Amino acid sequence: MAGISEKVNLPDVQELRHSTRMQLINKLRSVTGLKDLVLDSELMKPLDRVAGASLLKENGVNKIFKLEPSKSLTGIDKRIYLIRATPFLVKMVADQINAEHTEGIRRNYTILLVPRRLHVCELILEREGVYGYVNIDEFSLDFIVLDKDVLSLESPSFFRSFFMEGDQTGCHQVARSLVSVQELFHAIPNVYCLGRCAQMVHNLTTLMMSNSGCELSSPNYEIGHLFLVDRDCDFVTPLCSQVTYEGLLDDTFGIASGFVEFGQDVTGKDQSSKLLLTSHDIIFEEIRNRHFSNVSCYLSSKAKDLQIGYDKRHGLSSVNEMKDFVANDLKALKQQHRSLSLHVGACEKISKGKSEGDFSDILRTEHCLLEGIDMKACHNHIEEMIIRQQSMAQCLRLLCLLSVTQGGLTTDIYKSFKRLFVQSFGFEQMLTLYNLKRVGLLVEAEKTQAARQLGKVAAVVNIPLPCPFRSLCKRLNLIPKSPEDINLKNPNDMSYVFSGAYSPMLCKIIEQVLTSYDGASLEDLRKLMTVPMSLDIKAKSAREKANHNSKVAMVYFLGGCTFSEITALRFLAKQRGYKILIATTGIINSRTFLNGVSEPVA
Amino acid sequence: MCQELRVLNAVRNKNVGILLTYQQLQHLQVPVLIDRLLLQKLYWLAIHICQYLKMPDIEGASRVLAHWACDKVQQSGIEEEQLARAIAEKLGDTPGVSYSEIANKAIECGKVDLAIRLLGCELKAAEQVPLLLKMGRNQLALTKAIESGDTDLVYTVLLNLQERMPRGEFLMSIRTVPVACSLYLQFCREHNRPMLLELYYQEDNFQEEGNTRIADSYEDERFETRVSKLVATQDAFNKAKNECATKLTEEQIRLMRFQRKMEEETNKPFLDLSLHETMYKLIVENNQKGVEQLRKDFKVPDRRFWWMKILALSETGDWNELDRFSKSKKSPIGYEPFVEVCVKNRNFEEAQKYMGRVTPENLVRCYVKLGKLEQAAESALQSKNAEDLNFVLSKCPPSNRALFEKIQTMRNQLGAK
Repeated sequence: MAGISEKVNLPDVQELRHSTRMQLINKLRSVTGLKDLVLDSELMKPLDRVAGASLLKENGVNKIFKLEPSKSLTGIDKRIYLIRATPFLVKMVADQINAEHTEGIRRNYTILLVPRRLHVCELILEREGVYGYVNIDEFSLDFIVLDKDVLSLESPSFFRSFFMEGDQTGCHQVARSLVSVQELFHAIPNVYCLGRCAQMVHNLTTLMMSNSGCELSSPNYEIGHLFLVDRDCDFVTPLCSQVTYEGLLDDTFGIASGFVEFGQDVTGKDQSSKLLLTSHDIIFEEIRNRHFSNVSCYLSSKAKDLQIGYDKRHGLSSVNEMKDFVANDLKALKQQHRSLSLHVGACEKISKGKSEGDFSDILRTEHCLLEGIDMKACHNHIEEMIIRQQSMAQCLRLLCLLSVTQGGLTTDIYKSFKRLFVQSFGFEQMLTLYNLKRVGLLVEAEKTQAARQLGKVAAVVNIPLPCPFRSLCKRLNLIPKSPEDINLKNPNDMSYVFSGAYSPMLCKIIEQVLTSYDGASLEDLRKLMTVPMSLDIKAKSAREKANHNSKVAMVYFLGGCTFSEITALRFLAKQRGYKILIATTGIINSRTFLNGVSEPVA
Repeated sequence: MCQELRVLNAVRNKNVGILLTYQQLQHLQVPVLIDRLLLQKLYWLAIHICQYLKMPDIEGASRVLAHWACDKVQQSGIEEEQLARAIAEKLGDTPGVSYSEIANKAIECGKVDLAIRLLGCELKAAEQVPLLLKMGRNQLALTKAIESGDTDLVYTVLLNLQERMPRGEFLMSIRTVPVACSLYLQFCREHNRPMLLELYYQEDNFQEEGNTRIADSYEDERFETRVSKLVATQDAFNKAKNECATKLTEEQIRLMRFQRKMEEETNKPFLDLSLHETMYKLIVENNQKGVEQLRKDFKVPDRRFWWMKILALSETGDWNELDRFSKSKKSPIGYEPFVEVCVKNRNFEEAQKYMGRVTPENLVRCYVKLGKLEQAAESALQSKNAEDLNFVLSKCPPSNRALFEKIQTMRNQLGAK
């Protein structure tokens, strides 16, 4: 069997989407007749990726409303609420039902809790006195298929609830999603866990699979390796500014469940435009993983191609040819034209943002922090930014980057930055700073006398300070020695996703594990990691009989992943001949990542 | 068909006494026949029939075993431990047999110990826990729930216990279990704030107490209550030995009092602005006294103060004052910032005035900010700085060919040297 190069393919993730759709249809049909659907606003976009309005209408949905804290809602006599199982939302629903009761309206209510019924939610319904009037059911909306190689739970609160609050409720949903994948594509033989949450999820998944009678190993596996990685293994990547096209789109406009909304300044018309970004959009597929400098040349050459396509119409002679052209080519051309003009507009806006003076200063500080040089200049720059009250989000981002790359700030520096920050941006920031400390993004490190001396020397000689991050950088070769040599047009190194300054750590670790065949060479890596790492390599003995799907790997980011990491993994896959399926609890960028940990105060 | 006839033959036996024809069996269906055997307690026969007819476990063997076990449980006179062992042996790990049902039966007969032992064999925690709660075995229920890793179960146990036990006892019992404790804290955070504070107090967790109080203080409308909450916060941080936070809280209280005074004097909103924003606003409104007071009170360092001042002055367009201010003392932040703020507010004339005082290494950047690329290039050439020249080149629009080429020649000049 080995030696025959069979075509390696990703498992067909549309099957996952299909099973979710079936489940939804079943739930909808369980309420007979016409009903209204009230949706939790955060579920609207993910649901859109699973089932469009037409599918809902086919299954008896009359009107779709958004769940808002208004008192009562008009509609027909049957209603389904589809909400995430959080106390806040459940209370909103209960309030609405109560309001309608006092108005004398009688309706048949069903509440679908995503991903499952929680005791706490039922308690709230009891307390509000509506438990007797409603039917409660659950809808396990696990993975949303964002693209042929990207699956997401679209659960942005996972990072905060597990890593900051220590709440393990989210692990159950993650484990369930893994079980459903393995039910469809068979048990995955090799599992690697990086981090505490990964370990917990792995244990829970094994337990759930044995309880449900699913086979724990099978020779027909479609996915050979599973990586479970905790977000806190690598905080640096989500804090860096992204420079790949898809990453920039997310940073600039915000991509939600694959949808991006372009305002008037991009569309050039009076309305804003919504675009779905997947591999089906041919133009997008070509440019999404490119470094930004490499995008506009493609777009201009594509524009020329389109023009040639349109010009074909001049060459048409017979009616048949014309009919052919209109029926087949014209639609595709028009679609590409629309997509192209939106992307060109987006590029212009991004370029404009980049040429503003502050941006290049910020980028320079970022690169210095990554390399660990010019610390004094970095400190001064960040201080200045805080004093001048420029973008609080950027200040926070750079502060966290400083802390993570240095292994924590010395107590004096931490105190002075904290004071400066609070005095500049307000007392309520105390809570956010505390949260950041809890999670490990912005910490003070008690350094011994020797370490402090070393730090002073390092600062004078302008070399990076030794700390866990630095040792990992060296071991994994994350920071190329000469960034200018990295080819951004035809990249040969993963660091191109950050303009040659840094390679995403987790992707590098995955590369190491996939390309090394025994645990011994990874021992030193294990020692350097700040989180527990376990490699449950089951199929070691069976490696000779490995089926060709051992070249297929699934990477599950627990706590979120960035588009830059997705791009880096795609690059890795192409370079090494693997197929990588990327799963995550949610897609993040520096803004959403820090927002998730901040404390909003009225 | 042959098999079914044999079965019918077997049940005709005088011990069993069920006389059925083949057609009657077809009508009744086999499971019903099994039921009748079970009612007569003829388990051995029932199991054999199931296995003979190859009935799926759920309908056949497992059901029989479960029924037998329930029956056995109800028998009095046998010691509970023996019973448990006997049942466990017979049932083994047969899938489909729900130990929790049997345990339930045991509870109904009052054999609590037996029930617990049986529940020990039950694999699914979701079945174990509610029964354990029913039996009043709270600690065990909690442990099992936590072992299962299912936080929903843990919540079920906790909330159940909260209602049943008196508060002191409840808190004591969860104190020893950290997972339960943290989950309960979370629950309180959402639903029961005062309880949360009390819990923190009990645990001597003053840091968290402080944080909660800060959050609370923002939810209040009235000034006095807010301040008193902050005073309590300060106390908490003090007890937590967090100097930095204590000091900052104390400063905030002072600031709020000052802001309140300002509001009363000037009739403009000040509360909830940061220290910085407050000072900025005061400068813009030309309230010298207020600014000075804040500066002294909070010991605002020079660097910060100068930045604030020039930003505020340039925003209001008070160029004369800006000029005067720049001459009042040697600037701790250099003079580039002056150029920068002027350019930002599109006042290139004023910016020009400060060019003379800019340090040489920053000259190039300032010229670029002013848009005077040519002068910038020349200055870079003079200081023989290739990097700066590159910088100027990057800022030069390719549309301006003449200038572009000129700068390129300059750079080549430098490169050749």
